[in-house]
Amino acid sequence: MMKQWGVLFKKEWTESARNFKWLWLPVVFILLGVMQPLTSYYFADIIENFGGLPEGAVLDIPPPSGAEVLAGTLGQFSQIGFLVLVLAFMGTVAGEKSHGTHLMVLVKPVSYFNYLTAKWVHILLISLSSFVIGFAGAVYYTALLIETVPVNNVLSGGAVYALWITFFMTLVLCLSALIKSTAIVAFGSLGTALLMSVLSMYTPDLMKWSPGMLSSHSQMLFFSGNAGDGFWVSVGMTFILITGIMILTIYLFNKKEVAGHTE
Amino acid sequence: MSLIETARLTKKYNGNAAVDNVSLSIREGMCTALLGPNGAGKTTTLNMLTGLIKPTEGDIDFNKDYAGDRRKHIGYLPQHPKFYGWMTGEEYVSFSAELAGLSKKKAKESTNEMLSLVGLKEDRKKKVSGYSGGMKQRLGIAQALVHEPKLVILDEPVSALDPIGRREILELMKKLKQHTSILFSTHVLHDAEEVSDDIFIMKKGKIIIEGGLSELQRKYQQPAFFIETEKAMDNWLSSINEKSWIRQSKLDKKKLTLTVEDVDTARDALLKDPMLHKLKLLKFEVAKTSLEDLFMKVMR
Repeated sequence: MMKQWGVLFKKEWTESARNFKWLWLPVVFILLGVMQPLTSYYFADIIENFGGLPEGAVLDIPPPSGAEVLAGTLGQFSQIGFLVLVLAFMGTVAGEKSHGTHLMVLVKPVSYFNYLTAKWVHILLISLSSFVIGFAGAVYYTALLIETVPVNNVLSGGAVYALWITFFMTLVLCLSALIKSTAIVAFGSLGTALLMSVLSMYTPDLMKWSPGMLSSHSQMLFFSGNAGDGFWVSVGMTFILITGIMILTIYLFNKKEVAGHTE
Repeated sequence: MSLIETARLTKKYNGNAAVDNVSLSIREGMCTALLGPNGAGKTTTLNMLTGLIKPTEGDIDFNKDYAGDRRKHIGYLPQHPKFYGWMTGEEYVSFSAELAGLSKKKAKESTNEMLSLVGLKEDRKKKVSGYSGGMKQRLGIAQALVHEPKLVILDEPVSALDPIGRREILELMKKLKQHTSILFSTHVLHDAEEVSDDIFIMKKGKIIIEGGLSELQRKYQQPAFFIETEKAMDNWLSSINEKSWIRQSKLDKKKLTLTVEDVDTARDALLKDPMLHKLKLLKFEVAKTSLEDLFMKVMR
């Protein structure tokens, strides 16, 4: 059982190495991570040179705090970073189904649990590593150019955000396994994440439990070292939802027919 | 003892039966053909045997000697095999072997053996995306065989190939017959006649004819006469049509095909018939109808 899981995982890993996902995903996150402290630092210069301010106007923008810069970085990750992750992995199962490559795999004595969890662990590993590398870049340049943020705040905030990524990628895998169209997988997962974030922003009292609260908790951790109200509720709920989604996905994938009606 | 047996196997899509009440029995050590036109339900039937599709009704029993997950004992080549194009041929076969539970070492050995068998040893380090159609089909057979299954299921293994590829695969299947049981689908009678021992003919989801190849040939090949004359045969034909030794007659202008009960009786009667001589014989030939005629008849 475990051995077969390893075979499937190795296949995913090799595939990502051959099509350079292991290279360009971290690169995207590094660029996103480094850009925020750099633009914050040079913001005044940039405006002065390119902003077309009238002669003699004095620009007095207070430099952002380190915590603000890190919070801004997560904002970039949540938008562009998530989009890139979705584009990279929306086809992890759906693409195999539309090509038909899954047929000769699942006709072997392969457990669907192994097939799906090997993919799940693989996309988590690649997304989380990209995040860690990109975030480390952001922390480094923030410390270099702006100010140091307490290590505990950085680590706890980063960890909470990593949980949000985990939830999001679980959603991507679930939709990819159950829906054939990769476009719908992308819209569905990005839409759900966006909806959760927006609801959490506007009705935080109703959304205490929601994984959508996680990114604002992580930002608060950067600022004060303390998460907001209902932190543990949303962390606990996220773990429950991740487990639930995985169980449901495997169950539904088992029930679905592997081969469609061809004739 | 049969290798796999189905009882009243049925698959419905939106209430329409794609496969209807099919009871098959595949004998171990034999090559069995599932023959029928496109849309007869062959692929659906095979997919139910492999477990890729769940039957709406009916049972599938695999030989009790081979316990556990049926998929362990089945090797499958889909009609249009799709590989991970980024793998090399060798990697793909060895990946398949390991998925089926072979140890790394055993997988490697078995992969080498299979690649030589299907003639891909030279190209084993090439990416599958660069393989030709015939090479992919052979790779597909290698991955289906690599875990030494008891039953190899091939879905239309030759229909997408050019004449050379077709020949190669048919020869390969003849070789495989000696080691393992094969079940394959085809819409070409000739392929079925060439390699199979048993034939099931399917039409509109149902099995309409089944039996051993030689038994079917004995049963359905009938002695026949092909007669050609200069003058029209209509009148003469209606005068003899009631004779007991004639089974069937088919007149196409001045060419007549007569299927008969017994060659000798028919020949004597025909050659002694003065009316036939007056029609000015051009051709008088004794032959046998082929299974093709049967096939065409049932398919219509």
